[in-house]
Amino acid sequence: MVGRVERPQKRPRRVRIASRKREVYILRQHHGSLTRPKPGEGITIHFHDSSNNLIKTIEGNDGDSLLDLAHEHDIDMEGACEGSVACSTCHVILTPEHYDKLEEPEDDENDMLDMAFGLTDTSRLGCQVKLSKDLEGMIVTLPSATRNFFVDGKLNSTRRLLLHP
Amino acid sequence: MVKLKVAILGGGPSAFYCASRILSKLPHTTSLGKNAEVHIYDRIWAPHGLVRFGVAPDHPEVKNCTHKFDTTAQDPRFKFLGNVNVGSVGSFDHTIQVPMSSLRRHYTHVVLAYGASIPFILPALGNSAIPALSIVHWYTGHPSNPIPPRLESINHMTLMGHGNVSLDIARLLLSSPERLASLDIPQPVLASMTSSKLEHVSIVSRRGPAQVAFTAKELRELLNLPGTSMIPIAPELLATPPGATRQQTRILDLLRKGSAAKPGTTKRTWSLGFFRSPVKPVDAGIEVGINELDSNEKAVPTGKTETFHTDLVVNSVGYRSEPIEPEWFDGSLGRIRQSGSRVIGIGQGVVPRTYASGWAANGAKGVLATTMMDAYSVAEKLLEDSLSTTTGSIDFRPGIPDEIVQSGRRVVTYEDWKRIDDEEIRRGLAMGKERERMTWTEVDNFLA
Repeated sequence: MVGRVERPQKRPRRVRIASRKREVYILRQHHGSLTRPKPGEGITIHFHDSSNNLIKTIEGNDGDSLLDLAHEHDIDMEGACEGSVACSTCHVILTPEHYDKLEEPEDDENDMLDMAFGLTDTSRLGCQVKLSKDLEGMIVTLPSATRNFFVDGKLNSTRRLLLHP
Repeated sequence: MVKLKVAILGGGPSAFYCASRILSKLPHTTSLGKNAEVHIYDRIWAPHGLVRFGVAPDHPEVKNCTHKFDTTAQDPRFKFLGNVNVGSVGSFDHTIQVPMSSLRRHYTHVVLAYGASIPFILPALGNSAIPALSIVHWYTGHPSNPIPPRLESINHMTLMGHGNVSLDIARLLLSSPERLASLDIPQPVLASMTSSKLEHVSIVSRRGPAQVAFTAKELRELLNLPGTSMIPIAPELLATPPGATRQQTRILDLLRKGSAAKPGTTKRTWSLGFFRSPVKPVDAGIEVGINELDSNEKAVPTGKTETFHTDLVVNSVGYRSEPIEPEWFDGSLGRIRQSGSRVIGIGQGVVPRTYASGWAANGAKGVLATTMMDAYSVAEKLLEDSLSTTTGSIDFRPGIPDEIVQSGRRVVTYEDWKRIDDEEIRRGLAMGKERERMTWTEVDNFLA
């Protein structure tokens, strides 16, 4: 069996949006929507920035989505529509050997990828990629258009100016 | 001591993403971060710009982005000032007016992120056509309060323009009352849509199927809309051109496949018309000129014309921005003059510490992700510039401009907005729908 790309449960349109909204809002306030695996027991994923520098290596469980994992580990991946396949903000680029282990994206995901910045042949939406053992060691690149120049209140080493804590 | 105090004009996604990035890049634990302030001004009382007053009511999931804006607004260094209009373009009767010069005195930096709210017009149609924006404002309960389209006396409607706004309007006006009932559509609009006599929507533009501006998602939704079908397009128009982009290829594939409901099986229908530009309104219809494309894919008139019957023509050919500070505005492009997000004044000089973001800076195109990435890069540029400047401190006054306090009028804060938001959702729940929107009068009474 190849790696799975599961649809998130499509919420029926008539669902009580008010209650869903509260729930999501609370989840995003706190980490811990995911259970982290014990070190060494999970599936290892490497997040890279657009210049191919490693941002963070993390471990996740079978079934976790890349978007949820990124949020859990404070990786700067947006998810404006919160996994409902209505935007392209969680666009990621996967290593080809891992991309090929996933099922083809469905039409709605492809519709969003059409409008993604820096689309490649191995692009996916982070919310639609769920971990499986097949994806062990995958590199996930964030195709950010913004420069990684300015990090957390400091200019990086290319500039001297630093803020005093 | 260095201090950053930023005013962002406009309260849509561009503004909120920009505010969010500035604040998240300046943690409280740094001296600059501890003292930073970001204020968003919106001339409308409600925040979120086109997310509230543009996103179609049957796309509620797109509005999830406001959860992030809510989080940003919880930062104590953030303020939202709704119902405050800055600059030289007027607004509503109840809106507080603040000149740009007054605003400037209170901030170290200004970001112009007020979007593109003026529809381009098709001069050939004169006043016989209504702007698509007035229909969008109608179904989103925008305070401009436009005259509603008379759906109970219209059988055939023509939308000029092949963008997503046209498809949104067609999809909503061709939807069954059952599909619309639970959505975030004001009750009077819902009543009008329910008694609609509309049977056909013709969506026409000057160029061909490979040049459409709408996206596959919106096209697919219209093709799959229950109870309506697309008049098939002549196959010779739908050949995929050499070198077509992925998006063009997918859209042409969809158009060849046609609608889910077979033509002839539905009472309501829609069609796409290509290579047609309006010439003039005629009795009970419109005369259009027939175009062809030149080698640069520009529409060129062939000199031939045709006339067809239609009850209402809606012009939906894009938007330009407003010159809220005329000296910073490029009238020919319909947006702020900027270079790398830095605003350029008359004489090509950079206006110090002034930036432009989103549609006001780049024109009305691109999706939420485009706006987000642009806003992030503007925020980072602003921070980078301010940290690279060694020319001492910038003079600015504390607080907000005097005009606001002296006006005696209501400023809507983000806390006010969250109360209104809850109330709208509560009213909606009682009616079995997502929310029931409030008018300014209702908001003013509710907050009193």
